[in-house]
Formats: sequence, structure tokens, C-alpha cells
Amino acid sequence: MEPRRRPVMHFVLPLVLALVASACSGSSGGGGDGGEGAEGGVLRIGTSSGLTSLNPFVGFNQDDYAVWMYIYPSLLMYDTTTPTYDFLPGFAQEWSQSEDGMTVTFETVPGATWSDGEPLDAEDVVFTFEMIKEYEKTQTAQWAGSVTFLETIEATGENTIVATYDRPAGTALYDLGLTPILPPQVWEPLAASKEIRRFPNEPEGGEPLVGGGPFLLTEYRKNDIALFEANPSYYGTKPLIDGFGLQFFRDEDAMITALKTDQLDAINEIPPTAVETLRSAGMEVYEGPALALRDLIFNVDPEGQQRPELLDPRVREAMEYAIDRQAIVDTAWLGFATPGSTIVPEGNATQGVSWHDDDIQPLPYDIAKANEILDSLGYAKGSDGIRVADGEQMEYEVVFPLDEAGAGDRAFRIIQQGFEQIGVRLVQQRLDTNAAWNAMYDKGHYVFELAMWDWFPAADPDFILAVLTCDQWGNWNDTGYCTDEYDDLYTEQKEAVDPQERQRIVFEMQQLAFDARPYIILTYDRRLDAWSKDWTGFVPSTQGIFNNFSTQSLTSVHQA
Amino acid sequence: MRRSDYLIKRAAFAIITVFVAITINFFLFRVLPGDAVRNLSRVPRASNELVNALKEQFGLDEPLWQQYVIYLNQLLHGNMGISFSNQQPVSENLKEALANTIPMAATGTVVAIIIGVSTGVFSAWRRGSKLDQVSTNAAIAFYSFPTQWLALVILIYLSPWFPSHGMSDPFLIDPTPWEHFVDVARHMFLPSLTFALTLYGEYTLIVRSAMLETLGEDYVLTARAKGLPQRRIVTRHAFRNALLPTTTLIALSLGYIVAGAILIETVFSWPGIGNAVYQAVTERDYPMLQGAFLVLTISVVFFNFIADVLYFKLDPRITE
Repeated sequence: MEPRRRPVMHFVLPLVLALVASACSGSSGGGGDGGEGAEGGVLRIGTSSGLTSLNPFVGFNQDDYAVWMYIYPSLLMYDTTTPTYDFLPGFAQEWSQSEDGMTVTFETVPGATWSDGEPLDAEDVVFTFEMIKEYEKTQTAQWAGSVTFLETIEATGENTIVATYDRPAGTALYDLGLTPILPPQVWEPLAASKEIRRFPNEPEGGEPLVGGGPFLLTEYRKNDIALFEANPSYYGTKPLIDGFGLQFFRDEDAMITALKTDQLDAINEIPPTAVETLRSAGMEVYEGPALALRDLIFNVDPEGQQRPELLDPRVREAMEYAIDRQAIVDTAWLGFATPGSTIVPEGNATQGVSWHDDDIQPLPYDIAKANEILDSLGYAKGSDGIRVADGEQMEYEVVFPLDEAGAGDRAFRIIQQGFEQIGVRLVQQRLDTNAAWNAMYDKGHYVFELAMWDWFPAADPDFILAVLTCDQWGNWNDTGYCTDEYDDLYTEQKEAVDPQERQRIVFEMQQLAFDARPYIILTYDRRLDAWSKDWTGFVPSTQGIFNNFSTQSLTSVHQA
Repeated sequence: MRRSDYLIKRAAFAIITVFVAITINFFLFRVLPGDAVRNLSRVPRASNELVNALKEQFGLDEPLWQQYVIYLNQLLHGNMGISFSNQQPVSENLKEALANTIPMAATGTVVAIIIGVSTGVFSAWRRGSKLDQVSTNAAIAFYSFPTQWLALVILIYLSPWFPSHGMSDPFLIDPTPWEHFVDVARHMFLPSLTFALTLYGEYTLIVRSAMLETLGEDYVLTARAKGLPQRRIVTRHAFRNALLPTTTLIALSLGYIVAGAILIETVFSWPGIGNAVYQAVTERDYPMLQGAFLVLTISVVFFNFIADVLYFKLDPRITE
């Protein structure tokens, strides 16, 4: 492989002109009065997650997915300006699903091209999904979820794609629509030589990465920066800015300081503790619902759980009564969270319906009620105030992965204090993320007592619903919850083509999980992003201003 | 013992140390709780097969001793393996990271040596004076500050004037070589300053005590009695002899440049080896960890060896 270029920066002409122009307009303080902002300019975004790899079959960070959304075509997008995230045309202008849900048709934009001039048409879409399908058990396993139940996919015309399924596919539009379409001229030879995962997929020799989205990736330095410029041959609405850069920060305080000192223009996700600092420094801070939840996890695997009383749903119910969610919101999250109830967070909505069941309310904080339940079960308090169940003190270890540190620590202490009042002692077991999973699952069984962790659900609820299925045992399932009833409903929702019908099933699943209580959902996060007032027009979403739902945000952002 | 015997013995010792370290590194990361594929396979659209596909690809389905033999064999052929997380050769990843770390860390170390040695000599010379007190107390303070805390304080107070992250301004358009140099130097300022401040205190203290020791020797008294000027006594007679412990210290600390970079690079988002190690630990990227620790080991062993050689040169009595 060619060694990457040292930082002798080569930037293409349009960017040069734009930056000069932006420097001039910037010094005059911007327009403001005219309403229309200045076009052009390069937006500097700071992120603490960073990219792991630009190869769609290797990278796994949130930012990786957002980059693919911006540099590759996707058939559909989510319109994050609508409350229920309706589908938005992407490379597909029109789409339809047959009434039986077995056939999906897309009509793509005619006359589109890749950035290297090669035609971009229905054949490329077919190529992408056939490649994923062919290697789904090995090299392309990372995107295998997008071709589940897919039987055939073919181009029936230059701009028409027809996909057929072996059963009704409720998530077909999401599966096919939100997957990056890759250029066959790059990936076909790699697939043939089984080099799909080995390919770095980085710009080389001063040439941008072959792409078809609104931006092209022109420069990438691991753990440092990624630079993008507007794609002149993009088939859709062209961005107003000339380009943007993603800068990676290992340290959040350094990133906040960089925004305050004008070394950055925007930050994709800030911690709640930074909100006041940034607001008082004159920055715009966005707050909205997030696709993120924090949960207390019970091991409900009957063969793995060593403390039989924790397998009793009544005990778990009592414990929920002892959790002061409002205190967690106020103290641990400084108010930037909401009390949680079901596994589908508030704000999770697509296809015109909201997937979160508002009717399910968390149990109120009621220590007396919690004590009453535990008393009725016969778990008497010992001399030290700790209850005894089956001859053992009700003292439990809580696996606590370090990615929950900070707000999670504060939340833990609030829960711990609540539990103390009902005669249950919790001990925090802090472990790094990888080690935490090892402490929870071993040789086919769940071996922990309690745990605290989080989920960042995808746009479609299918993923977060799947984590409680038997099929995910040892994989995404982190509770040992496994019932036929829930599994059947899961399959049913996946095959429900009518969103209203699917919503009914999804609500039912939430109720089932809520009552069985393998999780106590503590809180839902609030999404916090910040940017300088020199910029405007960001389209925020439950994943922030730089997300993999649509290209809306960075195609409409411009200088104020 | 003859000179060549001494060198051969030291070199053999260095090689054995490296081999032992390679072996320990290999097993160390594997006994850590947490496995490599878990992190990589937690991707929303992935199928359950991904875990097995990854294990097979990385050879993690083989028995441990077999993995070790394969690793040793590959290493002897100069192949450090493929990074689990970005699928690129470890040697490429490390080369790039090291090339970024060395200029920043070396600048910091050189500055630390200059400040440390001169304040150390000066303090010993003016022992007991106000200046000695100030200098020694400052040295003790900087020596004991936690690195990341000092780095954050520097970042918060100085970042309005100097860039606080990264190596260069990616938005600088077609810079001339001079502009580029200035840009990188500005980016390097804060991390290098932190490096220098955390290191220099130790130098000051060691040089000061070494100097005080030699200043009390009979030959210094003789020199004084001969009426030699004070400056000459300090530079020619005392300092040369105080160089011995100082050299060892410098050589040893050069070996830890790479290790010391971890905290500083994390705070300043410097894309160097420290940053790479941090990321590799969190991602359980075994090949990257082994590679990075191999580099760490080799640099420590190498500079130890250099210290041995220098010692030999500076103090002929060692051979006797």
C-alpha cells in the first residue's frame, strides 16, 4: 500500500476560492439582515467518537455510518424534519411495496453518475445487494441484516429495481433504502478476490474516493481528520457549503475548548455538563430527543442466575418502585434526560408512526410499596437492615461498564440509596466495556446478577426489539430473556407491511417486556449538539446534526 | 573484562529481554478479560454469523499456543499482522503513528533536558539562595503534577493562542513549506510544552544533587585552592563528573518517550502512538497492542543499551 501523504495539504480549487470568500465575509460579521446567508465555506465539525474505518464492511462507529450516508447514494432517507421520520427520496425517486409485502419496486434518478464519471444506475444497486447476499456469512456479514429474507433483486430497466422476498417484509424499505450503494468498478474486483474487508477504502494519490453522495471524501488521516468537498456531479440538491471537515478529539474538554476558541464550528454531541459553558460562550445548543436509553439489567436466565429471588418478577417490580427516576434525571443528567419506560425510546418514529408506546408509564417512586411487596414475599430484614432471601443476604453485584461512567455513576448512587431503603444492597463492579460483557456471559449462559448499561437503538425499531429475542442469545441479548410469545410477536412485526398494524404489535411487545421486566429502563437521553452562531441551517435529528438518517443537515447548513 | 566482551554481553541481554517481552505481551492481552470480536461484531445490521466469521479471519479459533507459534513465525518474517479494527497492516499503522509522535516528543524532551540541566547546575552552584529555592520547588511541583491534569490546565489557559488539537490545520490552503512548518510548530507547542514541563523537574533534581555531590569532592576544593574562576570550576570540574547519572537518566527517559505520549496525546488528540495504544486497548485490537508494545519494549531496551555503552565511554572504571 502507498504510504499516506504527509500533511502537505492539497485542497482543490473551489475550496480555495470558497475559503478566501468565507474569510472575507466572516470578518465583516456575516449578513444577518438579508435573511439569505452566504454560500460556500468549509464547516469544521468536532467529534469524539471518530472513524474506525471507511470500509463499510469494517467500520462500526456511528460516525462511520454517517460518512457513508454522505459519500454514497442510498435509495431512501429519513426526513428528520417530520416528527415521524417519513421516507424521503434519495437515489430512488419513487418506491412502492406490493400489498402482500413480498415485492418492492424502486425507480431511481435517471442520468446519474459516480464521481469518476461512470454511470450510476439500477445495475449498481443490484450489484451492491447481490454482493452482500453472496458473502453474507463471511466478508459482508456486517450488512447481512439488509438482505434478510431477500430472495431476488433485479434491474428490470435502467432505472427500475424490483426486489422479491420469500415472506412479507415489513422492514424491506428500511433494509434496502438505508444501505449505502457501492460503486461496482471499485468493489467487484475486491469481491472476486475475497479482499472486501482488507480494502482500506481511503482516498489515494490526491484523488477523492469514488462516490455518489452530496460530498466526496478527499482526505483522511486516521485519528486526526477527514475532509469532504461538495460533489459537483451529485444527482440531488447540491450542498450550500463547499465542504466540511471532521476532526477527532480524544478528550471532550479539549473539544469544547476548541469550539469556544473558534477552532471548530460545530460539535456532534456534547455532554450535559458542557451545555451551560457553551451557552454562556454564545454558542447555539440544540436539545431534542435522542435514540439512547440507560437501563438496569436483570439476569433472567434461569440456568445462569445464581440468585433465585431475582428470577421472580415481583422482586424486580419492587425494585422498580425503589428507583427515583426524577432524581436521576435532575442530578445525574442535569435535567437533560427524561424518565424511561419501555425499550423503544421516545422519539423513535419512522414510516409515519411513532413506535414508542406513550401509554406505558414507569412505576412511581414508592419506597413503602416496594417494602410491602418484599415483606409479602417473606424476605425479612436482618439486624443490619439487609433482607435475607433463601438464606443469603440480598446483596448484589452490578456490572458497570466504564462507558457509563460519569452520569451513570451518579445514577448508580441514586439507585443504591433507594435500594438501601428497601433492604437491598448494591455493589458497583466497574469494568471496561469488553470485560463487562465477559463478566455477564460465559459458555452459553448469563452469569451476572445485575448490570447497568445502555442501548443506542437504530432508526427502525426492529433492532432494539431483537435484543430480547432467543435468536440473539449470547449476541445482542444481554439479559437471558427468551420467550416464545415475544419471539412470535417479533416475527409478526417483521412481516407486518402496514405500519399501523406493525405499530400495534410493537406496542404489544413493549408491554410484554415492561411487565416481564428483564430491564428497568431508567432514562432516555436528550440529544445535545452545539455550533457557532456563524452557521445556521443544521437539521438536527435523534442522532444529532451529523447522522446516517439523511443528508439533509449538511446539504442545508450555511453561513449565517 | 574487555570492552568487546562487555558490549556483546549487553547486546545479548537486550535481545533476550526483547524476546521475553514479546512472549509476555502476547499472553498478557489474551488473559485480559474481554475479547476482540465482541466489540467489532456489535453492529446493528450484522448477522449472528459475523462473530464466527471474524474469529476465523483473525485466527482466534485456533488454540492459544498455535496462535503464539504463528505470531512468532510471522514476526521473524517481519510481519506484525493486521489490525483487527481497521484491517490495515500493523506496521503501516505504527509507522504513521510513530512518525507523528517523534517530532513532538523529541522537541519536548530536548527542551526538558536544556531547562532541567541548566536549572539543576544553577541551583547547585547557588545552593541555598532564593533562586535555588524557587527553582527546586518548581521542579518538585512539575515533577509531581499528574500529566493529564497539567495537560488540561495548559490546554484550558493557552488554547486561545495555540491550537489545542491535531497536528496541523487541515483547512490551511496550499501552504508554502514555511507556512506548513509554522502551522505544525504551532500545533506542536502545547503538547511539547506539556512534555517538557512534566519531564524537566526530574532532570533538575537529579542534576542538582549530582552537582552538589561533585562540588563537595576534594578535587573541586583543590581547584578552588588553585584560584580557578568559579565558572571554570563548575563547568570543567564539577559538571563533567555530574554527567554520569544525568546521562543514564536521559537515556532511560528517551526510552519512555513513547510511553509518556499516551496521556499527552489523548488530551491534545495528537494522532501518534499514544493515541493508537489507547484506542487499541479499548478495542482489544491484539495485533496493534502487540505491535505497539513491541515498539515500546524495543525503544526502552535500545536506550538502556545506549546508556550502557555511554557509561562505558564516560567512566572507564566500569570495565575493571
